Amino acid sequence: MSQRKPKTPVVEKELWVENRFGLHARPAAQVAQMAQKFDVEIILEKDGSWANARDLLSLLALDCPQGTRLVLRATGPQAHEAAAALFSLFASKFGEK
Amino acid sequence: MTPNNRPLQGIPASPGIVLGRAKVLSEHVETQPCNCLLYSPEEIEEQLGRFLKAVEQAETDLIALKDSLSPEYQEHGHLLDVQILMLKERMIFQETQRLIREKRYNAEWALFQAWQKVRELFQGIGDPYIKGRIQDAEEVYRRLQSNLAGKEVWNLSADEPVIIVARDLSPAEATQMTSSQVLGFITERGGRTSHTAIIAQSLEIPAVVGVDFATREIATGDPLIMDGLTGQIILDPDEALSRSYQARKKDFEAFKGEVAQASNLPAITTDEYPTQILANIELPEEVDLGLKYGADGVGLLRTEFIYLRQRHLPTEEELFLDYRRVVEAMAPRMVTIRTLDIGGDKFLSHLEYAPEMNPALGLRAIRFCLKEQKIFRTQLKAILRSSVYGRVRVMFPLISSVRELQEARRLLEEVKQELQREGTPFDARMPAGAMIEVPAAVTLAHLLSRQADFFSIGTNDLIQYALAIDRGNKQVADMYQPLHPAVMRMIREVVNAARVARIPVAMCGEMAGDPLYIPVLLGLGVAELSMNAMAIPMAKHIIRLITIEEARKIARNALRLVTVEEVNDYVAQEMNRRFPEIFRFVHALAANLEP
Repeated sequence: MSQRKPKTPVVEKELWVENRFGLHARPAAQVAQMAQKFDVEIILEKDGSWANARDLLSLLALDCPQGTRLVLRATGPQAHEAAAALFSLFASKFGEK
Repeated sequence: MTPNNRPLQGIPASPGIVLGRAKVLSEHVETQPCNCLLYSPEEIEEQLGRFLKAVEQAETDLIALKDSLSPEYQEHGHLLDVQILMLKERMIFQETQRLIREKRYNAEWALFQAWQKVRELFQGIGDPYIKGRIQDAEEVYRRLQSNLAGKEVWNLSADEPVIIVARDLSPAEATQMTSSQVLGFITERGGRTSHTAIIAQSLEIPAVVGVDFATREIATGDPLIMDGLTGQIILDPDEALSRSYQARKKDFEAFKGEVAQASNLPAITTDEYPTQILANIELPEEVDLGLKYGADGVGLLRTEFIYLRQRHLPTEEELFLDYRRVVEAMAPRMVTIRTLDIGGDKFLSHLEYAPEMNPALGLRAIRFCLKEQKIFRTQLKAILRSSVYGRVRVMFPLISSVRELQEARRLLEEVKQELQREGTPFDARMPAGAMIEVPAAVTLAHLLSRQADFFSIGTNDLIQYALAIDRGNKQVADMYQPLHPAVMRMIREVVNAARVARIPVAMCGEMAGDPLYIPVLLGLGVAELSMNAMAIPMAKHIIRLITIEEARKIARNALRLVTVEEVNDYVAQEMNRRFPEIFRFVHALAANLEP
């Protein structure tokens, strides 16, 4: 839901929203904070719509309840590190149930 | 303006009496800020500077707020973290600056425009929980606009303590009241078991909720009396009324101290007849409240919430974790879990279950569960699994025939065998009981008692069905009478049947928690009473002052009377005579308010 088109992807990964309440404010905040740590452009894509992983509000607006499948596309020098970090964040269910 | 003692009525949500001035928190969402175009680069710089200062101020305030939270409100600290993050969010922070720079908007208007886009974005969200998060963004937006306007947002550390009046308070906002000069709060929305009410109770801040048009009727600075015991609010009280409330407040506080001191002691009558005072629980937060108020266990754990709050059916694991949390917190005290007590139209697709014309008499509770056995089995399995983490018993709502109870027990046995095969541990002797809330079940109590390990009388439904009264219908609401001779005789019949079968009888429902009825119920032979946590100290207080002989005498005399009016008069008189210090708080000031 960003205005810019994503650049050619360097890393592509599949992510699943597994925690019970979905990607609500706190998990989304964790994703945004994590994405901001790396020198990278990360797009999360869901059924054709997408959000910049750094933007808390657009992550929320992507509407990802439990069970949502997302595709992560990371572009930039730290694409691999960022993708791995986000992958384990999703896998940890953001410390929730 | 001359004082006029104008009364407003709400729902008492947290006990206590306060006198003070109102502070109305109005919502400015609909009001548009002024729009003026900027001409010079200096003006643009000035507006950018104002915006950045507003953000900085908001950040400082939020961090200070977060630091002032006590550790038990960590959960709400996270909410504040989210708000802090949102301050620098691209769609608000950068977009507002862009609009100031490129469109030459003033700061307020630029922020408003940025906010409109966020709102639009959220409109498309389907998941109700995620959609609800717009509240957090909205709080941030409001805070920034107020900072720009130079208004104090929440000047909660104001010198003069205030009574907060708001449309609604989020749990995060309610929590802020800990560190501040808030005497009490009044909201238009919410019920007795809303999150906000529960937080108010645990903070011991008096609260009245569900006051229609409170933010319109009350203005900031208005002198108020708020009575969290009765739900009454008095606007512009005169001196005489203020004085009598001051006295009542003092009395109540002394009394509360006395009652609270004894709330962790066992509920035993003076002649050593033991009773159990249990808590009704709906939200997980209430467990702590129950413990704090000295509950001997949970007499009713409602299980509907989790089915209603999410789009998919809860999994066995989710249910298990929910139950386990309560069971573990309460251990070694007993937790009574009631199986699902709603109809399919509440949470399944409307194609399968259309809303019914008369849901009170429709396919719900045990009827629904016996039809949708898969849903029922999942719940039973989760309940059984939780039983090894403490003491658990299960009860089936709305039983109206022996067959239903047999069926429910048969399914429970099947699920036990399944767990055994899987090697999953559970308490093989977990008691299973029947709720008595349909007149047919009262008539069949002797037969049901052979299949049940205990009874729990659900008075809300039983009274409604026995007297054919819909309490929501204002035309007949006053005919809803817990001490109706028919209801008392039904309770006696259930107790007799249970006595023969040597099984315990509990009662859950509002009647069980009303101080007025406790001696009668005790006298009728109901020795386990389950109620809202905040009612527990008072119930224990009464029980610890009475003898079982006295209670039996009151019940015997009440049963001899033939009209409900006579019974009500007799019981009120008896209780006023016996416990003047308690009933003064309920009735004493009512007379002052008559026009």
